[in-house]
Amino acid sequence: METKIAYFRNKLAMTQEELARKVNVARQTIISLEQNRYNPSLLLAYKITKVLGQKYIEDVFKL
Amino acid sequence: MIGKPQWFRRRKYTGWGFTPVTWEGWLYVVIAILPLVLLMGVSPISQTRMIFIITWALVVGFDFVDIMIHLPKDERDLVHEAIAERNALWVILGVLTVGVGYQVASGAVMGITKVDPVIIVAILAGLLTKMISNFYLDRKD
Repeated sequence: METKIAYFRNKLAMTQEELARKVNVARQTIISLEQNRYNPSLLLAYKITKVLGQKYIEDVFKL
Repeated sequence: MIGKPQWFRRRKYTGWGFTPVTWEGWLYVVIAILPLVLLMGVSPISQTRMIFIITWALVVGFDFVDIMIHLPKDERDLVHEAIAERNALWVILGVLTVGVGYQVASGAVMGITKVDPVIIVAILAGLLTKMISNFYLDRKD
């Protein structure tokens, strides 16, 4: 799964640590997601989308 | 719960259990273990001291289990833990099965039936735990 997490996170000047804390996961999970190595649950994808200020999950995650 | 789960993290590469990540965690481990080491090291062990040691060990044991259950884990950690534990279990089961086979075969050569009951109990306990876990999980979600 491809993600635009790093792109939107950098636009918001947010660190990986901050994003991890806001969605209640470890920083390593954010790293894995940004490197397209981990497929998140629907709940986590939804939380990340909202924290990054996006409307749809498809804006951040792509199959 | 006496110890806080956030003082520790899951042990990944060096066995099971948890390892301290904060000074509070290290202090907790020292306070939990030290009395046992000191009281066990001095002989003879009186009955009162033995009762204290057993009580202390039970309290510490239950607290350790409680910390293990509540260790902070996100969904990725949970998936990794489940796969790693499953792999470990398969290897343990394989070794135990080979052990039973070896005992049966060596017993047959000598004309006796001899299998270590601890191995059988361990396998049956694992089977029971798997049954209960699946039963619970199927009903939970």
